[in-house]
Amino acid sequence: MKAGVTWDAAAATHLMSRTNFGGTPKQAEQLAARPLKDIVAAMIDEAKAAPSPKAPAWVREPWVNTERVYPETTPAERMENHRKAGERQTRERNELRCWWLDEMIRTATPLREAMTLFWHGHFTTEAKRMFVAQPLYTQNAALRANALGNFRELLGAVTLDAAMLMYLNMEDSDAKKPNENFARELLELFTVGIGNYAEKDIKEIARALTGWTLDAPEGTKKKPTVADAPRAFCRDGLAPTFAKEKHDGGEKTIFGQTGKFGLKDVLEIVAGHPATAKFIGSKMIAFFGAVDPKNELRDRMATAFTKSKGNLADVLAVLLTSHEFFAAASRATLIKSPVQLLVGSCRLLNLDVTATPSLAQVTAAMGQELFNPPNVKGWPGGRDWISSGTLAVRYHLPEALFDGKEPAGFEPIATDRNFALPADESARRDLLKRLKEFDAKRREERKKDGFKVAFDSAKVFDGPVPEKAGALVDGLLARLTVVAPRADTRATLVEAVDKASPADPVKLACRLILMTPEYQLS
Amino acid sequence: MLPKIDRRKFLGVGALSATVPGFLGKTGRLLADDTKSLAERDRVLVVVQLAGGNDGLNTVIPFRDEAYHKARPKVGIAINKSLKIADDFALHPETGELRKLYDAGQLGIVTNVGYPNPNRSHFRSTEIWEAAVLEKDTLTGWIGRYFDSECRGVVSPMLGLQLGDKPAMTFAHAKCRAVTLTNPSLFQWEAGSVGQAMDRLNKVQTTGNDQLDFLQRTGNDTLTLSKRIRDALKDSKTSTEYMPFNFSQSLKVVAQMIAADVPTRVYYVSLGGFDTHSTQVGRHAGLLQELSQGLGSFIADLKSMGHLDRTLVMTFSEFGRRVAENEQQGTDHGTAGVMFLAGGPVKAGIHGGRPDLSDLDEGDLKFKTDFRSVYSTVLKEWLKADAKKVLGSEFKTLPLFV
Repeated sequence: MKAGVTWDAAAATHLMSRTNFGGTPKQAEQLAARPLKDIVAAMIDEAKAAPSPKAPAWVREPWVNTERVYPETTPAERMENHRKAGERQTRERNELRCWWLDEMIRTATPLREAMTLFWHGHFTTEAKRMFVAQPLYTQNAALRANALGNFRELLGAVTLDAAMLMYLNMEDSDAKKPNENFARELLELFTVGIGNYAEKDIKEIARALTGWTLDAPEGTKKKPTVADAPRAFCRDGLAPTFAKEKHDGGEKTIFGQTGKFGLKDVLEIVAGHPATAKFIGSKMIAFFGAVDPKNELRDRMATAFTKSKGNLADVLAVLLTSHEFFAAASRATLIKSPVQLLVGSCRLLNLDVTATPSLAQVTAAMGQELFNPPNVKGWPGGRDWISSGTLAVRYHLPEALFDGKEPAGFEPIATDRNFALPADESARRDLLKRLKEFDAKRREERKKDGFKVAFDSAKVFDGPVPEKAGALVDGLLARLTVVAPRADTRATLVEAVDKASPADPVKLACRLILMTPEYQLS
Repeated sequence: MLPKIDRRKFLGVGALSATVPGFLGKTGRLLADDTKSLAERDRVLVVVQLAGGNDGLNTVIPFRDEAYHKARPKVGIAINKSLKIADDFALHPETGELRKLYDAGQLGIVTNVGYPNPNRSHFRSTEIWEAAVLEKDTLTGWIGRYFDSECRGVVSPMLGLQLGDKPAMTFAHAKCRAVTLTNPSLFQWEAGSVGQAMDRLNKVQTTGNDQLDFLQRTGNDTLTLSKRIRDALKDSKTSTEYMPFNFSQSLKVVAQMIAADVPTRVYYVSLGGFDTHSTQVGRHAGLLQELSQGLGSFIADLKSMGHLDRTLVMTFSEFGRRVAENEQQGTDHGTAGVMFLAGGPVKAGIHGGRPDLSDLDEGDLKFKTDFRSVYSTVLKEWLKADAKKVLGSEFKTLPLFV
């Protein structure tokens, strides 16, 4: 390496905008006073050393399935259990989104949350396909615990977590006819990447991964459920358990190696594959935003990955100290993810905020619902964040943050249909009516807390609020890390502040800055 | 009828002949549209994506084939339940509205559609269908290229309109003229000084930072179109009932837009959830019911408003599914699938033969019709476009239209 990095306050601002949801001008000065290498090392060490956030109150170890159907369970009880479990799951999912948003907004180690968010979009689980909420939490905890640890360990933790076992159908995959879902995504999306495997590898890996299921923790007394109950109604627990009789113990050939492979062997092979090192490097580069046209940065990260046997802290350090990351072309060119936009705004504006389901809906309406990516590939990012619809939501953000009001249209126009309606006309009408009521209740539940956000002009500036409109606007642009405003942007803001002579010029200017194209970039 | 004139003006007809100097007509492609009749210029295409890989074999069922029932003891559709439409084919039991369309001569079905060397990745295969190019790293979509090469003279920033949150690659192009929106109620803005400042902050002032310029253009388009989209939906005439679900309601918005003569040529709507690796039966039934009822309402609505003749609906999915079911009562990723065509001048019936379940490639169907032949036919015969130019090579035209 080659070209050096000019490490100054502007570079520090750039670094924090990608790793810390943004930082203030004062923080940038402080960082710039110490060497870049030390800063990055300290950030990583602090992220690794920070204690785990406390789990939401509803998380239970061991988790108990309240929907099991026993021979003596009456149909009425079964319906009631199902209804309650549904309500519980909706509530827990809402709380989980708030729990993570609060953590991101308040954390003293934002890098750890940024990395957790990175993995959240890599090792995905769609909440809409899950019938219980707890695995979404345990998966998130596993991502956080291993976010800057070892890739092989992270992969192992995620693979045998209940969320992944359920989501990609590895649970109960049977030697007789292995389910290929997880095997395919393991190669295509989680490790080596597309183009680096054959269909045959997928089939062989699917065989090697047969035999896993979810059960009560070992030693738990179990009561038999009715025969042939669907999984949701007979699952005894969320502990990953190996059922040897369902495992295919024969020889498999994976990437040219042959053996009687099982889960651990598969994970060793794919985690150690040279393509994995490059693939993870590329994805980190896209997430943190660096221009790397010749893949030189990616290759240096891959080398660090291989040399350290998958130490993710080493890989990230290469990225965050690279000249590519700090090059002019890499600055103010990354389109903020909705979560980055919302969390960054709360942090930089120093808002007094408690996350509510309405606040969580803000990022969902922008196309990033936490715990519910659009599909197994996660959020594609970049320009895919921006369409007329999602940009409109971004421009409505000030109404949520400054007025505590939810603008119209923050929910999709309707819900998805998850099952077929009955053919009988009156049964159908009855069901539609109940669905409508259920949906109205869901919306009401989500909106009942509204927004808990308070804005205080005095908290936005580290010092006194400048009196002149120009200085005020410049101060706020710096504070909100709009590093290269267009000339017209600044002029429009100054004029608006001047002309309106508003009661609260700081709030007005902040409101308008959030509605600029510039603010969408970090 | 005033709205019609308005639409033509927006589609560039009246405006161009009145304002563009005559010599341009001979020199460039600017007036290429002028060779088309007015009726042709009014045509609309609605692309429906079935995301996740729709199980073609359980949608249009080769119900007499014993191999089908043998491969799918749990997931297969029983003969007595399926809706018979031809000697060899039946439709899924939950697609009653599609059967009605079929019987009324308004539904075309293309079977065994795919492409050479099928890719079983959702993402890569979706890209292939949306780009309509088999080579990797193609960054444009087939409709994006159609807009670019065939609609140059057309004045509209919303030639494409998609309901959804992630812009579809089908519309992708360097000078993308497509709009994506989730919920039209979002396009309501503060009036007064804040609104005015917001408009100014979103005027395009090219900077050389590509991302910033892209954001400026999108911001400017969004604010410009807001009023138009709101107005289109306010004056809506639709009286047909739609099911209260996302896909059906999205089609309702599309019908309202079509009826309101907004300057849009191609619409794009998605129905997702077709990745049925486990417990397929109930999920797939729900999805097909939504598809069938949604399209049923949409076609009826357009017909009653007098816009069906100028609207063509085409469905696609990234792949079909494996012939044999797996152990979790689901099916894994497969290859060839089916496409539906409805509205416009569609020639009803089944285009393409029975899937051959005795001649499989690693358990998957071998495709018989290249999807680019379907696109090519739609481009040539419906949109009157230079299909070869849009698709990059010549594909066989199929007898899909009367």
